[in-house]
Amino acid sequence: MNQAVDRTMVLPQLQQLFPVPHARSFVTVVISTLALILACLLFAPSSVTWGALSGSLPFAAIIAIVGLGQLLVVQQGGFDLSLAGGVSLAVVIATHYPQGDNALLLPAILIAIACAILAGLINGILVSFFRLNAIVATIGVNALLYGGVFAVSGGVPKTTTTLLAAIAGGQAFGLPNAVYFAFAALLAVSFLLKKSVAGRRFEAIGANPLATRAVGLRVQLHQLLAYVYAQLLYCLAGVLIAGITREPTAFQGDALLLPSVAVVVLGGTSLLGGRGFPISTVIAAFFLNQLSQFALTVGVPYSAQTIIQALALGFGIGVYSVRWTVNVIKQTNTNANGGKNEVLG
Amino acid sequence: MKCSVRRKLELAAVAAIFTLACSHLAQAQTPSWCGPKKATLALLDGYGGNSWRQVTTASGKQEALKCPSITKYEYADGQGDTQKSISDIKAMAAKGIDALVVFPDAGPAMLPAITSVYKSGKVIVPYRVEAGGKAGANYTKFIGTDFKNDGANWGNWIKGVLPQGGNLLFLSGPAGNSQGLDELTGLKSVLGPEYKFLNPEPFDVTNWDPALTQKVLTAEIAKNNKIDVIVSDFGPSLVGALPLFKQSGRSIPALATSDGNSLGCFWTDVHGDNPDFKLFTVSTENDNVRLAVQWAVAAVTEGKAPQEEIFKGPVFENSVTGKPSPVQCRKDLPGQIYLSAQLSADDQAKAVNTK
Repeated sequence: MNQAVDRTMVLPQLQQLFPVPHARSFVTVVISTLALILACLLFAPSSVTWGALSGSLPFAAIIAIVGLGQLLVVQQGGFDLSLAGGVSLAVVIATHYPQGDNALLLPAILIAIACAILAGLINGILVSFFRLNAIVATIGVNALLYGGVFAVSGGVPKTTTTLLAAIAGGQAFGLPNAVYFAFAALLAVSFLLKKSVAGRRFEAIGANPLATRAVGLRVQLHQLLAYVYAQLLYCLAGVLIAGITREPTAFQGDALLLPSVAVVVLGGTSLLGGRGFPISTVIAAFFLNQLSQFALTVGVPYSAQTIIQALALGFGIGVYSVRWTVNVIKQTNTNANGGKNEVLG
Repeated sequence: MKCSVRRKLELAAVAAIFTLACSHLAQAQTPSWCGPKKATLALLDGYGGNSWRQVTTASGKQEALKCPSITKYEYADGQGDTQKSISDIKAMAAKGIDALVVFPDAGPAMLPAITSVYKSGKVIVPYRVEAGGKAGANYTKFIGTDFKNDGANWGNWIKGVLPQGGNLLFLSGPAGNSQGLDELTGLKSVLGPEYKFLNPEPFDVTNWDPALTQKVLTAEIAKNNKIDVIVSDFGPSLVGALPLFKQSGRSIPALATSDGNSLGCFWTDVHGDNPDFKLFTVSTENDNVRLAVQWAVAAVTEGKAPQEEIFKGPVFENSVTGKPSPVQCRKDLPGQIYLSAQLSADDQAKAVNTK
């Protein structure tokens, strides 16, 4: 009990150090990431060299982008399992439609975006209007999307166009281009979520749909749009993967589903919905990616690599579960100080 | 009128001679494994969803149709679903297909279905992936692939380009896959202790996924300042990952792997800037299916069984000696074809572009 009281004393000071509002999750994920970087420096210094980072950062960027998509859905108390199909469909459209012809790249991307919007609308309508369970609805849509993947590609990979390889796989000012795309996605999500009226409503609806409906907000519309935004982000990730890996498989999205949920959880967003933490989610993506690079560089067997990642995820969930009691105390304190963190827009 | 009858007779005689000549020619072209008994044949894939399988399927069809006794050829794709693969096998047998050539991706899980079809009197030839069991008890014949031979071929080439020994990196597919283990045995049968494997035992796991390959190679490049040779059993998956060497300011090292048009073209484009990038490939072994089809056809049509019982993938490209072939690149055709296969490049392009 004393410990809990001590932590409540320390944490506000930490928050002053990190001026991001109310982001205890931010502090946690930053400290975890710094600890990981320290461990890398001690046990696998080569994994944090510039060469290694420039090779692995594009994959961190992709996890970050799909993580942001999943975050928006999770904020509405949903869960998007159609991520794998969405990413894979964008990958095959971006590679199969142009057939190596740079001139057809733009139309291909536009088709991919149109498919993403359609998939998002189907997900959203099923979940918000027909009240289907999000997991059931998105599994179904995932199967549909994979039908699309087979229709476009027959399951066969194609080599990407040189233009896309240069855009997604290239570097500018010393950083892989994919990182800029992730940064842009982060800025867009953060700004819209935290600074726009619609974003504030979106978050409030996630926290308490019943109360916000009573206030007169269009709950179903916001819930529906969460799935559309998510699919657009998956589409971006898919197009980037097509460029980064040059010859992607037709099932490239499969490996991203678990990491997308993991970074949302590690970023501190509750799976029950409510407030989202885009910056923490992106840092968690870097953390998760660096963790697998660390395991690879240390040279542990493949089985151990998987176990290490699972333990990290367990650790992440554990940390937030333990903080439950602290959360309650903190919440009470803040509310006693005027309840300044409640913004309904 | 008299004249026209005579002319007709002449024409008939010419036609008869022509037909006889043609049939004689056809008989001369009929391979020895093709017997006289009419039969039907099916090719069953456990998972048909990649370009390698499409080229292989087209190769299998081409081989089967060389035998005029095969009256019908069918194909089924298990789509990576073991249940579907099992029911495909049973359905083909129930439809009255006489001979089945099976790629049992799911391994021993396929053995009961294979055995039941064999016991019902059909000819069934699994190939490439071992399903367990024995020839004559569970199936007609198993046509394996000699992956140790591939490993030994790579090893011999590595000895040629690095006679003093050096640092090797060996990448294979999923953890513990028998192909990778056999290749390693082949490599080690040729290479002595002066060749150091940098990867964790027995190989770096890539799942043959280009994204994971890229991550693995990133870590290995960062960790090891000196990589002399990369050995990989799926060359085309490296095309996205090899530019990582450039990002680290290093030359791409020598590469011993399997062939692919995209890889050949990549080498053609970048070897000028990468003095250490020597390339050696063994065939990607699409023609493994041909040997399996020959055995199945021989058994079902009562032809002569082929002499080979295991498929040995031939050596294909060698950028150092140009023998048996210099590095090949067909930029006008898709990257996902395998110029080492017997099926012509244009037919392969058609096979992979069908969807």
